[in-house]
Amino acid sequence: MSAASPLDAPDAPPKRTRRLRLAAWAPVIVLMVLCAIIAVVNPNFLTFGNFVRITQTAAIPLVLGIGATFIILMGSIDLSVEGILTCSAVVLSMLVLNGANSNDLGILGALIVLAIGGLIGLVNGLIHVRLRIPSFMTTLGTWFIGVGVANALLGGMAIRITDPVIRGLAVERFLGFPWGVWIAALALIVAVVIQNHTRFGRYLFAIGGGEDLAVLSGIPVARVRITAFALAGVFYALGGILVAAQLGLGNAQIGTGRLFTTVTAVVVGGTSLMGGEGGVLRTLVGVLIVVVLSNGMVLMGVPSSVQIGVQGLMIIAAVASSIDRSKLRVVK
Amino acid sequence: MASFLRHIASDRVRQWLPLATLILLIVIVGTLEPVFLQPATLLDLAGDTAVLFILASGVTFVIMLGGIDLSLQSMASLSSVIVALTLPRLGYAAFPAAIAAGALAGLLAGLAHTRLRIPSFIATLAMGGVLASTALVSSGERSITLGADDRGYLGWITGTLAGIPNVVIIGLVVLVVAHILQAHTRFGRYSAAIGAGEPATYASGVKVNRQKVIAFVLSGGFAALAGIILTGRLASGSPTLAAEMLLPAIAAVVVGGTAITGGVGSIWRTLVGALIISVVRIGMTFLGVNIFAQNIVFGAVLVLAVAITIDRSKIPIVK
Repeated sequence: MSAASPLDAPDAPPKRTRRLRLAAWAPVIVLMVLCAIIAVVNPNFLTFGNFVRITQTAAIPLVLGIGATFIILMGSIDLSVEGILTCSAVVLSMLVLNGANSNDLGILGALIVLAIGGLIGLVNGLIHVRLRIPSFMTTLGTWFIGVGVANALLGGMAIRITDPVIRGLAVERFLGFPWGVWIAALALIVAVVIQNHTRFGRYLFAIGGGEDLAVLSGIPVARVRITAFALAGVFYALGGILVAAQLGLGNAQIGTGRLFTTVTAVVVGGTSLMGGEGGVLRTLVGVLIVVVLSNGMVLMGVPSSVQIGVQGLMIIAAVASSIDRSKLRVVK
Repeated sequence: MASFLRHIASDRVRQWLPLATLILLIVIVGTLEPVFLQPATLLDLAGDTAVLFILASGVTFVIMLGGIDLSLQSMASLSSVIVALTLPRLGYAAFPAAIAAGALAGLLAGLAHTRLRIPSFIATLAMGGVLASTALVSSGERSITLGADDRGYLGWITGTLAGIPNVVIIGLVVLVVAHILQAHTRFGRYSAAIGAGEPATYASGVKVNRQKVIAFVLSGGFAALAGIILTGRLASGSPTLAAEMLLPAIAAVVVGGTAITGGVGSIWRTLVGALIISVVRIGMTFLGVNIFAQNIVFGAVLVLAVAITIDRSKIPIVK
């Protein structure tokens, strides 16, 4: 898309460009207004303790959102977030030092889990591309397969994680922030590099912007798609590790509600569901909007069950305001 | 693999594949477990299938147009909460109230989809969140068991007529109504046309958006009815009552042979699909497969069925 803009610029009406530029900053403005309102209502919002709490809550949705961003950039969708996350968390709880068996793989266990996440993502990609099945159907299937595998492994029980390294991700702190937050920050940096400074990253935008053109320009679309799904799987598995560390256990219900927060964060951040527009830094803003809003609602005493509903409305509002309707005739 | 898929995807074979699968499954499960073929077990099977079938036939209307409804399990749960909360005060009026709520939710999802031009899977995912939240808040996040006097209102669901459970009869009524809507009304024909080719249908003057909204209203209403039946059978309402029903419902539609690309399908196929899902579930229970682990099979079956039924010529770019 960056290659096309210098050519397009003279023809494009200036009013439209300004509107587009404003739209790109809208999520940031929403985030700042939100922070200001909550800070006025409840000054506790601005304390360092609350800031740490916000980053801690944001770490997991951010990691999941990064994975989903790669998929949504291509104009696809990944509904298997909860499946891969749950499966990873459960397998992790069985591989590291735990209360149910005698395994003690430590960090190696975490690496195996990342590989498993990548593998499930790879299967997603292969089914989607090779069998030509729309991604939302493929990943709807793997969503339930992942949760089913977790259930089959545990049969409704929970395994307590006693491994000090894994628990330490949530408990131990460095410069005031838990290690989990630093890992999420590192994941963000890695994702930004992949997105902006690799061929793969540019291909993602090209595919999302217009797949037929991408094919004609010689981009290996099938390979890029499969890689993107595998990469997303690794990020979901990382999210699973962080969730398991935070709760100190693995069970089959651990992922409930994560898909919803993830999609909300990506979409609210301004990544277009049509593909080709957005990025992981926007997802960071989207995650912060979702987390700050829920943090603010907790501070104001709104029950947490209301939040799903609010997120649902946010999805509709964000998608409705971001879709470029002139491009679409048929919406399915 | 791909050529094998293409072979069984050829129209002539494809049309009869679901029914053949169903018969084969019944024979297999019947051989392994002869109890299965006794009339009492089969009636139980029919009763258990009714809820799934009602949910699936609602979403069939949406899938026929090429859309999808991911909010049906939240709607069914919400409907069970509405019934459980209002039954003491409203009596029988609680049931139409729940169905009206379902239709309203479907209307809102349909309007969000058509007016705001949001893809249906995201509009209904979001609507599902709103509905789940509503159910959680209004029920106080717990399940509501119905008192003895309220259960008197549930006789039309739990009773039997000439030895046949009322649930089965309700299922049959839904089958007839849904079939008439799908096959003998203007709405049914238009929705098949929209699924087959939306731009052409639009160009021939059909009010595409109106048909889409009607489909979502029907899906919401049917989901609410399924929630009512569930409430009757369990004598309680809960905000997570139908949480596990989304995948089986969509799997039933697709396994029956309705293509998710739209245009091809019928309520009869959904009936066959729902029966397949039920027989598979019972077969797995006989084999001792954990009820939650069964989702592995349903997930795989869903993907496989989509792979066979999907019309790839309609989607040059698979996203």
